[in-house]
Amino acid sequence: MRKLPLRLAGHLVRALVMIWVVATFTFFLIRQMPGDPVAAQYEQLVQQGMSPDGARNATQLTYGFMPTGSTWSQYTHYLWRLLHFDLGRSTQTLGVSASSEVLTGAKWTIGLVLAGILLSFAIGAVLGVIAATRRSSGTGDALTITGSLFHAIPQFVMALVLITVFTVIWPVFPTDGNVDILVDPGFNGPYIASLVSHATLPALAYALSMFGSYLLTMKSSVISVLGDDFVLAAELRGLTRGIRFRYIARNALLPLFTIFALTIGFMFGGAVFIEKAFNYPGMGVTLVNSIGHRDYSTMNATFLLITAAVIVANILADLLYTAIDPRVRRGGTAGA
Amino acid sequence: MRRTAVAASVLALCAALTATGCSSSNNSTSKKSGGTFTAILTHIDPKAPINPYNQTTNSFRGYNAMMLGWSKNTATDATQFYPAIAKSWDLASGGTKLTVHIQPNAKWSDGKPVTADDLKLSAAVAYAEGGSAFAAIPGTAGGTVDVKVIDDKTVEFDQNSTKPLNTWFSNVMTMYVLPAHIWSTQVPSDIWDTIHTALTGSAAEAKTAQDTITALGKKLISWGPDKDVSAGPFTLSRVTTSEALLTKNANFFDADKIAPSQVVIKNYQDNSSIVNLLLNGQIDGSVYVAVSESQLDKILAVKGNQVVSGASPVQASLAFNESKKPFDNVHVRRGIAYLIDRAQVTKIGESSSGKASPYPSGLTATQIQGWGVDTSSLNAYSVDATKAASEFQQAGMTQSGGKWMLADGTPFTVPIQTTSDFNDWTSGASNVVAQLKAAGVDATMTASSDYTTYLADLAAGKFTVSWWLTALGPSPYNIFQRLYGSANGWKLGAGGGVAHSAPGQGGNWMGEAESSDITGLGTVNPGELTNQLSQVSADQQKQIVAKLAKFTNDQVPAIAMWDYVNQNFINTNHFTKFPPNDSDVLRQPQGVWMQLGFIQAK
Repeated sequence: MRKLPLRLAGHLVRALVMIWVVATFTFFLIRQMPGDPVAAQYEQLVQQGMSPDGARNATQLTYGFMPTGSTWSQYTHYLWRLLHFDLGRSTQTLGVSASSEVLTGAKWTIGLVLAGILLSFAIGAVLGVIAATRRSSGTGDALTITGSLFHAIPQFVMALVLITVFTVIWPVFPTDGNVDILVDPGFNGPYIASLVSHATLPALAYALSMFGSYLLTMKSSVISVLGDDFVLAAELRGLTRGIRFRYIARNALLPLFTIFALTIGFMFGGAVFIEKAFNYPGMGVTLVNSIGHRDYSTMNATFLLITAAVIVANILADLLYTAIDPRVRRGGTAGA
Repeated sequence: MRRTAVAASVLALCAALTATGCSSSNNSTSKKSGGTFTAILTHIDPKAPINPYNQTTNSFRGYNAMMLGWSKNTATDATQFYPAIAKSWDLASGGTKLTVHIQPNAKWSDGKPVTADDLKLSAAVAYAEGGSAFAAIPGTAGGTVDVKVIDDKTVEFDQNSTKPLNTWFSNVMTMYVLPAHIWSTQVPSDIWDTIHTALTGSAAEAKTAQDTITALGKKLISWGPDKDVSAGPFTLSRVTTSEALLTKNANFFDADKIAPSQVVIKNYQDNSSIVNLLLNGQIDGSVYVAVSESQLDKILAVKGNQVVSGASPVQASLAFNESKKPFDNVHVRRGIAYLIDRAQVTKIGESSSGKASPYPSGLTATQIQGWGVDTSSLNAYSVDATKAASEFQQAGMTQSGGKWMLADGTPFTVPIQTTSDFNDWTSGASNVVAQLKAAGVDATMTASSDYTTYLADLAAGKFTVSWWLTALGPSPYNIFQRLYGSANGWKLGAGGGVAHSAPGQGGNWMGEAESSDITGLGTVNPGELTNQLSQVSADQQKQIVAKLAKFTNDQVPAIAMWDYVNQNFINTNHFTKFPPNDSDVLRQPQGVWMQLGFIQAK
């Protein structure tokens, strides 16, 4: 087995190449999008009552923040800035750096989606084990059907159902936003409670729409492990039920771990519908707004962050898998 | 056992926190006297600067961003203003000299008085940021050529007297007022020398000065002070990614009129987010939002919710691209107008906040009445298949098997373009297609993916019949610019004249001829007439408006479908004394309503 630093170096080189490929692809793809952001701004100002000449003057400044020159020169300039971690300036909020726009939304998405992923993982894993161990009973069937049903429900439908139930019929949770602005920010009870209450429904929507896949995968994995010889040996040796459960769970969790690690990587781009439904200002909403306004810099920055997150998650999954599965460390195959 | 205890403790803590959070809005911050007014206004971005000129800003007009005056948006007189920072004003010398008297008690939120120096610096910033009346190009029609400090509370604005425009006054009055002691850190001390050089220097000097001003504008647009210093009724306290909190400014010159102790402005993503909040009774005052009749009923069923509405100088029309045959033929356009029941289209497209336009004339019903246009000379184009047939026959079309055919025997088709972003346009277009098909005219509807794409393709002349907002007043110049401005090939030159571009060039997607002969009017160049609207007196404007209305009615470059109704939702659970229906403040933000004495605590 290769040494860790060498493997890591190999991963990093591949990661940089992949980031460059994706950055190039998205750069040229975004610029093929039809639409003139200045014309859209002009129309918005005129509809708000500004005179046509006034609107024309006001939107002139936007041109100063739009890339000029040939596409190739724009691309080389973009790569040069990228090497200096400069992702450009927003044309929606003129002059503000695209990276700060994206990171402002990203921190809210991370909290929301991470909570949803952890919740769905925990629920799915536990119910998957129960569904597998009681697969011949009504309980197992009910859990399997429930998991399949929830897995089939789109995220935005789940979000709308939760909004209707918990903010309209039984209004116990806030309808929108990420925190109550009337609460003084800081590490204090009311502020943390406000953050939690605003994130509860969006995270729940995410968890409910995701746990089904974990449940079904875990069930399948447990059933597969239950048939292994070491489980029979453990029974014959008279090991307690609890210890046997730990043996089964650890082995059955391996496929779930891979899915979990990849889901973490996709979390930046995975909550658009939920964020829109709850008006939760994360990166998904930032991306949708930037597309609507043809804010090329913010779009590029968002796609870059999503790409980097997926690549890093893949690398970490690969490295951690080696750590948690001794069979891989010893050069064998997982599941052998 | 230990793990169970830990898990139970964690769950209990989460429950306690959640319960506290659900009731967190009842903390001491919100119990101040006057209460919290919750509004929904615009897109909120915590990274946006406190700069009213940025497209996305944390400087909210009427709340912590002040102008010299607030337009009454009168249908026929764009010079009617409520006082704001300007307590009074005198317009003299044929509208080329404006003397503004600042509110004597006007102060910034840090206690410093608002002075003439603030106005002079604000004007300098307006030159850099592209304010309507402030263009650093010599000879600009309607441009401000000088700003003079008369005394501490009096400022004189001078317009280019050789090329004055009657829109100059309202353009100056809508200048944002900024604190000089804050913004002077960003503006060079010799900015007015630069501005004067740009306006009066030699060609080379002026060019250099203009480049300096342009560079300053690019620098300033993304700048804003770290802490808000406002002369308005509120100052910005904090901003999250979804809301902005403003607290009452005790130094506001009319603080006694302001009831709420704080305002929360919520983020506005789209109509559905506003509707959800209205259904929960969480909005005390909202911007205009288009809703269906069923949604309106549900919103009004919520305790305290009401709607306050008034006329809106916005009209939805189907505009023709006359560079595409046979729509260059006026008989074809008239024939189509005779086939469309606009009342039915309005009922389907904009039932709750629209009224069918009575006459395709480029004007809303309110504007027609306000300008005293003689409607006896206008054609309402009421549905009449016989008249439509007559028009089509004059265009050389024939009917075969119940379908209308062009002169060359090919089927006559009306392709209508809409955008997925606007449900009312899509619904309306569907109904128009159905009506035309029932009348034997083949019609189709296609939707662009979003409004930005729609506008780009529209400007490129890709569409034949498409939605276009018209009658965007209150200024008559602004109204008719929509039909006889850049979209139709007429562009205002810096010297005040207009030049016409051929169809397909210079943004001309409507493709109208430069002039046409009209019975009773003679040869009319609508672009020239529209341009004159910005230069003539009110009486002359009236005559031109009547002429352009008749021209539009005769030539039908666009068929007006419905006049939008300015529909504002309010909630009276915590506040009362909202403006009545048809009030002239309805098109201003609620912060302006408060300044005028509306919105009092219950």
